[in-house]
Amino acid sequence: MDKFEHSAREGVQGFGTLSEAQLRNSDPDFDAWLGQQLQFSEPYLDDDGFCDQVMERLPAPTARSERRVTRTQYAAVAMASTIVAWQFPFGEVLAEAARQSISLYSLVGIGLLSSLAAMFGGIVAARR
Amino acid sequence: MDLNDKDLIRRVVDDGDQRAYAQLVRRYQSQLRFSLRQLCDGDQALADDMAQEAFIKAYKALPAFRGDARFSTWLYRIAYNLVMSYRRKNAPEVDQEAVDRAQAQETVEEAQQLGMARDLESAMQELSEPQRQAIHLCMHRGFSHEEAASIMKLPLGTVKSHVNRARAKLQTLLQAWREEVVSG
Repeated sequence: MDKFEHSAREGVQGFGTLSEAQLRNSDPDFDAWLGQQLQFSEPYLDDDGFCDQVMERLPAPTARSERRVTRTQYAAVAMASTIVAWQFPFGEVLAEAARQSISLYSLVGIGLLSSLAAMFGGIVAARR
Repeated sequence: MDLNDKDLIRRVVDDGDQRAYAQLVRRYQSQLRFSLRQLCDGDQALADDMAQEAFIKAYKALPAFRGDARFSTWLYRIAYNLVMSYRRKNAPEVDQEAVDRAQAQETVEEAQQLGMARDLESAMQELSEPQRQAIHLCMHRGFSHEEAASIMKLPLGTVKSHVNRARAKLQTLLQAWREEVVSG
């Protein structure tokens, strides 16, 4: 504290007589040093439930924005399913299935069930 | 995933995504609470209440946020307005008992500040309140003079003058520390 008190005694007498030139005379080194010291002396304040308290007091999101989210999610899942269906080599799989003597009906059934499961999973994942 | 402020705000406004807002709260809570503690003369409970109010008010007003300024500038402006308005209604503003209680609860680490930090704090106390706020916003938080002027609701020239005068005072008061650093 000695350093500060010594400077303070000298400084207090000088503050009233600081010229405009002195005031405008910015020292970039001092600015950088002061900035560092200010940062260094600042503790990080732990959240300690602060964020949760804020979130509890927020008004609920509007129904309109929730509907928009749901529509967006369904659109994303539908688009993803379309791309998968477009890229899927149905012809080759059907030909292979015929060769392996798998019933066409069971193959379609498995395909439908897989698609439904994938879509359901996609929607659940997106909603989370 | 760390999204920038702009993307988080878009998610809050367009999708009603409150988790995105929680990220913004976590990102700025420490800085804002620390700044408000200074503004509330160390009354930590009051500062935290004000910070909470500021985040809630900012959330409600977020659809009107045009993005002309940074989110942090806008948030600070809201918080400063709240504190100033509280002060106008509740003078004398400092609950000394609350300050003493809060200081007594400080952790050992907080109490064990280095000499430099203590002297810096003492030097900051020598400044007038507007000077202290201007230095805090510009040299500590890194806001531009224009941003600080908009937060403090003062003319740009006044803020520049506060910063220059405060800088000159601090330069004198902390001269010994600087000389020690320079001389090694």
